[in-house]
Amino acid sequence: MSLEQFKDRNVGVQNYRQLDLPQSPTTAMCKVKQVAKRSLKGELFVGLGVTVREMVSTLFGKGLHTTQYPFEKLPISPRYRAIHEMLRLLESGNYRCIGCGLCEKICISNCISMETRYDENQRKEVSAYTINFGRCIFCGYCAEVCPELAIVHGGRYETASEQRASFSLFEDMLTPIDQLSLQQEYQGFGAVSPNADDNIKKTPLAY
Amino acid sequence: MYEQIAFYLFATLTVILFFITVMSKNVLYAMTSLAAGMVLISGFFFLLGADFLGVVQLIVYVGAVMALYAFAMMFFDATKDIKATHEKPLLVFFLGGMMALVFVVIFSAPVIGANIEAHYPIMEDVGNAQMVGMILFTKYLVPFELAAVMLLVAMIAGIILAGKKMDHSLTTNIEDVKEELLKGKK
Amino acid sequence: METVLPEVTAVGVIIKAVIILAVISAIAGFGTYIERKVLAFMQRRLGPMHVGPYGLLQLIADGIKLFTKEDIIPAHANKFIFAIAPAITAATAFIALSAVPVFPDFTIPEFIPLLGGTFVPSIASDVNIGILFVLGMMAAGLYGPLLAGMAQANKWGLLGSARTAVQFLSYEVVTGLSILAPIMIVGSLSFVDFNDYQNEHIWLVVYQPVAFVLFLIAGFAETNRTPFDILEHEAEIVSGYATEYSGMRWGMFFIGEYANMITIGVIASVVFLGGYSDFFFIPAWIMIILKVAFFFFFMLWVRAAWPHIRPDQLMWLCWKVLMPLAVVNIIITAVVMMAMA
Repeated sequence: MSLEQFKDRNVGVQNYRQLDLPQSPTTAMCKVKQVAKRSLKGELFVGLGVTVREMVSTLFGKGLHTTQYPFEKLPISPRYRAIHEMLRLLESGNYRCIGCGLCEKICISNCISMETRYDENQRKEVSAYTINFGRCIFCGYCAEVCPELAIVHGGRYETASEQRASFSLFEDMLTPIDQLSLQQEYQGFGAVSPNADDNIKKTPLAY
Repeated sequence: MYEQIAFYLFATLTVILFFITVMSKNVLYAMTSLAAGMVLISGFFFLLGADFLGVVQLIVYVGAVMALYAFAMMFFDATKDIKATHEKPLLVFFLGGMMALVFVVIFSAPVIGANIEAHYPIMEDVGNAQMVGMILFTKYLVPFELAAVMLLVAMIAGIILAGKKMDHSLTTNIEDVKEELLKGKK
Repeated sequence: METVLPEVTAVGVIIKAVIILAVISAIAGFGTYIERKVLAFMQRRLGPMHVGPYGLLQLIADGIKLFTKEDIIPAHANKFIFAIAPAITAATAFIALSAVPVFPDFTIPEFIPLLGGTFVPSIASDVNIGILFVLGMMAAGLYGPLLAGMAQANKWGLLGSARTAVQFLSYEVVTGLSILAPIMIVGSLSFVDFNDYQNEHIWLVVYQPVAFVLFLIAGFAETNRTPFDILEHEAEIVSGYATEYSGMRWGMFFIGEYANMITIGVIASVVFLGGYSDFFFIPAWIMIILKVAFFFFFMLWVRAAWPHIRPDQLMWLCWKVLMPLAVVNIIITAVVMMAMA
């Protein structure tokens, strides 16, 4: 197919092919035959059979499609961009952020604000860091630009809360010090989801 | 005693409902009270022990009034009152009153004369439907068949009037669809 | 102790009426739960799960919701008719049940104080022409949707009531004609006679399979179940006649519909499937419950499996296919009966 043909959106002039519908009956006898054939063919009972088969298999726990959401959750992809997380250094437990300010610079919706200062050892220290989640569009630039892999996107997608501030403080996003051993390293933007193998299905080639 | 209470209840309700049917300006009220009145009339048949006729009254008039509703739905806005124009209200009043009087006289004359008696009283062992059938197919066979033929004639006439274009579908005629498509191509 | 009490007393009838009302309302409520569960399993879902174990108390939650919901009457509606329309549906559904024998006659066991030994005919009022009465009452029940649709000053409602009229005028003929052939065989219009006849002979469905199928089809139309749920089909006319209804008024439509489903189930089992007679070792009352439950389940099953049809298709089906079939069935039955006699 050439490009011109592909771009031609004028429906009706292209080479659409009408489906081979069976000829609608013309004479009364043909109509009677059609009704009799459709009534006695048993297609209706095929439908009944399918539904009762599904019911039985669902009753015995197979083929159930429901995830009881608040109690069960499907694993989400590591590429998912939800509420940010601030990671710590695994060795010292100190936060990774070096206060370079790149995330604040690149943020296209201007929702990150940070204040830094020099501490007594002349190291840069983050004194205030907030993300305004009313403005954040979860584009992921901050995580991409971060040279230390300090700010990453987490998997916390349930963002309903009484106050916006519940998420937005540095301390809230920082990995708690007692859960340092559970801290997951960011896998990168090409990572596959943990249940990717289960999601692989045979694709019918017919279409 | 129960029967008397029931009779007066049904009688009052029926009269009131038919009164509403005649007097109401709202087509929905009129139709509904007509249907309810017809249903209540079947109550009289039940009181008289004529169960079969009562149920026939119920079924037939429920269906008939349903058809009337269909017409009312097509012609009127059911939620609004209808403004009727009375050209000669006095004449209408006079004629209606006279007709009502004549009907009352006709129907009350035998009662006053007290010579009304049941030709076919209810028998205990024989069912209601059987008795109706017996009489219908022996003594009243000819009127019954005549009525049947009349209804048949009316039905056929109705079918012919309505069914001239019955086989012509406005939407699902495949030839027309094809023609339309061909036109679009040109 | 002999059965000395008269069979029908005013108190007995009132008690039975109250029991029918209470039990059928409860079953109708429970039917919604069953319907949601069965449909869910047929569609590989779980259905209601959170209120109570396996969602069993969902029914109570729904009831509380319906009772406490605001009862809205639209501004331009015909308020009186709008208010009584749901009552017509619910009342006629229950009146129809009054002439249906749901259980075999039984005697209250001796160990129950006060009433022990009383003979109870389970039918609330054994009218001679039970079948016609029930069908007539169920037909009158369609006035509910009709009036509701016309009174609510809503286009969808008006379409719903127009479809009600169409549906009524279509299926009513088939119902009457299909059940006429069994009536001819039994020679009575009483449900009790039907049951007794099948007690002595075999089930009528063996003699009258065509009439059975026709009656079931018409029964689906009568209860507005899925292949024929044209008067409230969500995908086409929002909610049809029930568009403007909310709260308890809507709930009454619902209860009426489910009571009608049970009635159709009982009629089909009593007229065609042997009714409440013993079946080998299974006692009669279990048999009738099983049969009615099967018909109830069948209605849900069909809802899950089959698409619904257009109003014109319903008219076509009823008048051009089912009615001639029913007439032919009656004629063949009559000829065979004459030849046998």
